[in-house]
Amino acid sequence: MSPNRTDLILPPGAHYLQGSQACAEGAITAGCRVYAGYPITPATEIMEHAAHRLPQVGGRFIQMEDEIGSASALLGASWAGAKAMTATSSPGFSLMQEVISFAIMTETPLVIVDVQRPGPGQGYITTSQEDVMQARWGHHGEGSIIALSPASVQDMFDFTLEAFNLSERWRTPVLLMAEETVAHMRERLVVPSRDEIQIVNRTRPKDLGIAPESYLPYGHAEVPPMAVWGEGYAVNHVSLVHHTDGNVTRYNSSVHLENVSRIHRKIEDHVDEIARIETRWLEGCRHLLVCYGSVSRTGVEAVLEAREQRNIPLAFIRLKTLWPFPERQLRAIVPEVDTIFVPEMNLGMMKHPITEALRDRCRRVVSIPSLGSLHSPELILDRICEELA
Amino acid sequence: MKKHPMLKYLKEEAPAGPRLPLIMCPGCGAGQVLNYALHAVDTLIREDGLRKEDFVFISGVGCSSRLASHYLNFDSGWTLHGRALAVATGALLANPGLKVIVLTGDGDAAAIGGNHFIHACRRNLNMTILCINNGLYGMTGGQVAPTTPIGRTTTTTPYGNVEEEFDLCRLAQTAGAAYVARWSTAHPHQTIKTIIKGIRKKGTAFVEILSQCPVHLKTAPAEMFRDLKKNTVPLKKAGKSEAKGRIPVGVFCDIDKPDWVTRYQEIIGRLERVESTHE
Amino acid sequence: MNRNQRFEIRIAGFGGQGVVTIGKILGIAFSIHGGRNSVNTQSYGPESRGGACRSEVVVSDGEINYPYVRKADVLVALSQVALDTYLEDVKVGAIIIIDPQAIKNVPAPERFRLYPVPTLAIAHEIGDVKYQNTAALGALYAFIAEMIREFDLVQALRENVPIATVDRNVAAFEKGKKFVQSTFVLEK
Repeated sequence: MSPNRTDLILPPGAHYLQGSQACAEGAITAGCRVYAGYPITPATEIMEHAAHRLPQVGGRFIQMEDEIGSASALLGASWAGAKAMTATSSPGFSLMQEVISFAIMTETPLVIVDVQRPGPGQGYITTSQEDVMQARWGHHGEGSIIALSPASVQDMFDFTLEAFNLSERWRTPVLLMAEETVAHMRERLVVPSRDEIQIVNRTRPKDLGIAPESYLPYGHAEVPPMAVWGEGYAVNHVSLVHHTDGNVTRYNSSVHLENVSRIHRKIEDHVDEIARIETRWLEGCRHLLVCYGSVSRTGVEAVLEAREQRNIPLAFIRLKTLWPFPERQLRAIVPEVDTIFVPEMNLGMMKHPITEALRDRCRRVVSIPSLGSLHSPELILDRICEELA
Repeated sequence: MKKHPMLKYLKEEAPAGPRLPLIMCPGCGAGQVLNYALHAVDTLIREDGLRKEDFVFISGVGCSSRLASHYLNFDSGWTLHGRALAVATGALLANPGLKVIVLTGDGDAAAIGGNHFIHACRRNLNMTILCINNGLYGMTGGQVAPTTPIGRTTTTTPYGNVEEEFDLCRLAQTAGAAYVARWSTAHPHQTIKTIIKGIRKKGTAFVEILSQCPVHLKTAPAEMFRDLKKNTVPLKKAGKSEAKGRIPVGVFCDIDKPDWVTRYQEIIGRLERVESTHE
Repeated sequence: MNRNQRFEIRIAGFGGQGVVTIGKILGIAFSIHGGRNSVNTQSYGPESRGGACRSEVVVSDGEINYPYVRKADVLVALSQVALDTYLEDVKVGAIIIIDPQAIKNVPAPERFRLYPVPTLAIAHEIGDVKYQNTAALGALYAFIAEMIREFDLVQALRENVPIATVDRNVAAFEKGKKFVQSTFVLEK
């Protein structure tokens, strides 16, 4: 019914965009053709850019009456075969948790961007990383989730594209945990050539030659092939504890364990494939700075200064993926160090899984908090020098 | 034994075991509504050349919403309490060709789902909303709902309800739905005809179906059924003196206006012709 | 690492003075037309008009890590509050451009070089106070002329203001630039 104007996605080459715009463009390049959103600072620009661009490429945009409606609309869009996204900030993110939980249980691909701002409550409209635990544990119930942490305008494009690919590949909601810093900054973005961009689409039962009569909506594979509405598969999406065929009548605890464990393992057993980290200067280091998101930008600056001007043998690790947490990957590469510093725009959240992973590799883990604004290199460096004095 | 004619639209068995019977209480009206809806769909398949795969049933949570679950031999989504209409909105944006039927209850649509309800009606998206109104929260044990009459005793109004009830049809009409009607489980033929018209209608069709909950209202189903007939009055007689105290049933409005997707498609069409100058 | 070779520009004023726009124009001019790395950020209060507002551009030939200004090489202050707030965060020898009409409380130039430019007056000459920001941009350009091609900057300006105002914006830019070139001796 609508043209799919792939000729009108962002062309290859250099662009100068706001992180928000890059995010919306990454989604469109990935094939997102449905956006449902609600205004909230500092995420509104993503929505406005999507409203502007989606009809150009043959997609549809709607501003819903609230965040719960926005997230819920993504479910229907995804089940009807579209790649769908919304962007919100921290208060809206809290509202979406029931839908996220439901999406996990029904194994529905969708992308939610959280441009974090300080809380609790209205907090303020500046930058923050205070939702990183909510990303993993905010949904009720078990199951796992994927959450990425961009640090640049380029990342806002690349990671959004990747978020869609991951959601289609693993049949799961994927979160992009951005911050006001990276959403509002303008930087150069380089879009690769068409053949360099990989797009992943969900596997459908017809791709595997599975006929409607033998289709099991939650079966066949660790990541079940997903039938789309309107193709004759009579697929019932249910979030009550279910059998692989979607049956909810015969409850027993072993079905329950199998149903929910598989969803959990689907992500957690594949951390090595899913999670990405970046490391620098690990060779011969005595201390370690672990960052994620925008703070990584300050982090690199601080580490360079620490090494070059203060002779501190400090290494740098950036978590590009917050969840599933790359515990094994970290343990595989991090040597014995004295102090691990974790600067966060919160009072210390990711420091917990980091500590859990590396407690026996270090003397201590030290949080360096900054609330409401990006750490300056001085803030991080002064704290490091203070602790190491 | 002859099989029920609508059984072809249900999934009886599946690898993990039988899916029927429905979990509804004996005498519940919800099963009847499903029956009427399936008759309507059956007619559309035979008369309008529609196919089974064109239809999708979306529900929220509650007794009414249980109808769109794993025993439907259609594409379906048994979603979140109050959110069925938002889910349906997204589905239509992705595939406007789907014939979307939303199964919801009075609590699901008018309490927790109230906001999505008024906006779905206002947007005039091409969907048919079947709201099974039993005047209480059935699944959770009989609590008061926005549709419970004033004075009624429920588990959360043990001394009598102090609130007035919604007129859901008036609400839908005011919110902008193109087609608004009310019947009851005791009006099978009218209900089926109205559902057919609603699905054929371009835009939001809201059909409220008054339904009996014999368990929580502690009244025999047959008596409730008779009461539904007795306490309702067809619209054209609603002004007469005999109508006092009775609930009007019938079609309240039937307007022709473009639906949401049609309006949005005009934008897409316009943009197609213009060379894109996005930044 | 070329990270030390950062050139940091900060523009500050009230919301509504067009501070964000000229930061954006500079960023685009440096990055797209000029082919260098630049990060443009801004911060402001929730009010659209009247609250404090700043826009920053960090330029480098290498990777830009920390995206904000640490110590500005150039500060453009369009309001007294802006000057008072950001005076401390400038490099030794920094260029500070102020509008003498808006800023009465002028500090004695100790570690920095102060240049009063009548951006408001120029804007009025062009026809509207809203051209103050591009007059300031022209003045700024005169100080960084070896870093960026005028053509690139004016091109970016043309593409990022409403079409109906392009000519007057370019005129304001010219006047700001010419004022600086004819009034001050520009040292490196």
